[in-house]
Amino acid sequence: MIKAEPRTILTFLYNYFEVVRDLFEFQTHDGIITREDFDHICQKHGPNIKNRLREYRIIRPVGSDYEMRDVYFKMMEFLLLEFKPLLPETIEKYKGAITELFLKIRKGEAADRDILQERIKNLSRQVREFVDLVERNAFRLLNETRDLKSNIDRIEYKDKVHKASFWIEYYILPLNKILDVNHSESVTNKLVEVSEYANRRRLDFADESVRLEFEKLYIQLIQTNTDLLRQSKILTNELLPLLERIRTESLILTGWIEFLRNPYKVETPPLLKGSRTMVYAKDMLYKVREFFEQFQQNEAIVFEDDTADFDKWIFDRDLFKSRLQEQLPVNDFFNWCVKMLAKDFKEIETEKFFAMTGLLFDEDLSIEFPKKNERTTIMTTMSKISVPKLKVEPALKIR
Amino acid sequence: MVYPPHHRQIVEELMSGKFLLSNEEHFNSLRENEAFYTEFFKVSFDLDLHLKTEYAFLLSKETQENFSRDVSIFIAILSYELDKDGRNFMEALDFHEFTMEEVDRYFENSSFIDLIESNKTLRDQDSRRTLINGMARRNIVVKNFEDRFSFTEAYKVFVDFAKELAIKRMAQDTAVNQN
Repeated sequence: MIKAEPRTILTFLYNYFEVVRDLFEFQTHDGIITREDFDHICQKHGPNIKNRLREYRIIRPVGSDYEMRDVYFKMMEFLLLEFKPLLPETIEKYKGAITELFLKIRKGEAADRDILQERIKNLSRQVREFVDLVERNAFRLLNETRDLKSNIDRIEYKDKVHKASFWIEYYILPLNKILDVNHSESVTNKLVEVSEYANRRRLDFADESVRLEFEKLYIQLIQTNTDLLRQSKILTNELLPLLERIRTESLILTGWIEFLRNPYKVETPPLLKGSRTMVYAKDMLYKVREFFEQFQQNEAIVFEDDTADFDKWIFDRDLFKSRLQEQLPVNDFFNWCVKMLAKDFKEIETEKFFAMTGLLFDEDLSIEFPKKNERTTIMTTMSKISVPKLKVEPALKIR
Repeated sequence: MVYPPHHRQIVEELMSGKFLLSNEEHFNSLRENEAFYTEFFKVSFDLDLHLKTEYAFLLSKETQENFSRDVSIFIAILSYELDKDGRNFMEALDFHEFTMEEVDRYFENSSFIDLIESNKTLRDQDSRRTLINGMARRNIVVKNFEDRFSFTEAYKVFVDFAKELAIKRMAQDTAVNQN
């Protein structure tokens, strides 16, 4: 039993990651961590660290030496993406486990519901582990074969072929056999069979909770199928033609493969970032002028209320009526209006003009329309008005 | 003071991060006045002018430039996939007219799919088109039609980078082996 809180262990891993990584590397390289190596790794960090490594069950003694516990080893493999290539025999064992569980599920459909559900869950776990191993192995094989292609060690072509043949014979071809869905003995083929069965049972199994378990298994297998297809494609396109691929070699390709190992840790050509403010912006002159002009305004700016500028002209009917009567008869009334307004204003507004025309309705005046179509054009600030030439005379009064 | 011919165009294009190519008229003016421009960019903007036989560009000290990384990954994967396909990738980069469809096929079937999917400028067809348009704006590729492009001489900046990286890694490896 571990007394420490999970968070304490994670903090320890975070703080002493280098120690755990060194232990992992020794274990990967030698298969074991010798006492001397262990002492050497721990000596820099004080005596307490050894106790902690044991207390948190990160390592365990093997005779006088040590080994990293599997759960930590796998976590470090995953974090560092340093997977050990597994012989396909190790992966193939999942076929046995999956087949056996599948058989028991089919035969035990009528048996206890709980054990049936447990078997389905176990089958699901086996599938998950299988896919995980295939992905890790394909990843490692890809790295190995890219190393061969990159050939950073500059090994001879003969040795390269020898290495490639080794990978193909012991790792790539057997893995391909495991993944080949058309091969009756492949694990993938078995998974297709399980998937078809799960698909039927998720719909027609009598018990609802078991139906749900089959449903989950079926969904998982659809995803598994996609993942395995992707791995199979990598095998066919990239790993199987390895001998052909290592025939050519290029320094540039070596560089690209090295770069793609971790493209975010290498400094790429430092291109200039396009600047938004161009030195020769087309509107630069105007921008500069605008900038300087804002400081040129020295006079105080006074804002006046809009209403203060209101034109207060009010039509004085009596005044204009008396003026009109003084000048009667007027041959062109509208023109007369314009003349009157022109005395007081430079421009004649339509509104003022219309106010003046109101005089026409005065009862003391008589209006005569022209016999021909004689018209006058009046120009105001806003309009051009065509009006008839009206003659205005004093009205005859009947007594 | 009299400035060299096409001065404004040269400065404008280089300052926008564009590569000037040897087949462009203003490139000759830049080449003929190399000393002037080297000093001009250094004194005015503290930028280094790199003038090669086939192209010219400005180098920046700005390290946050993601565009260069994205283009490097793009050319690296494309070169790798072309080689895997049995093609001479250098010849293809030099002379081949690529179609967007061809590029999509290479990227979608690449074993670097995890890297591709995690990079937002490469992850799907639309993002790749945006990246290629960006490369066209900087004269790294030239778009012949909407869906076709070829690399200009500017791609050699990235190829040189790969070459230097390989040499550096091989030297490191030799040093480790000797120790």
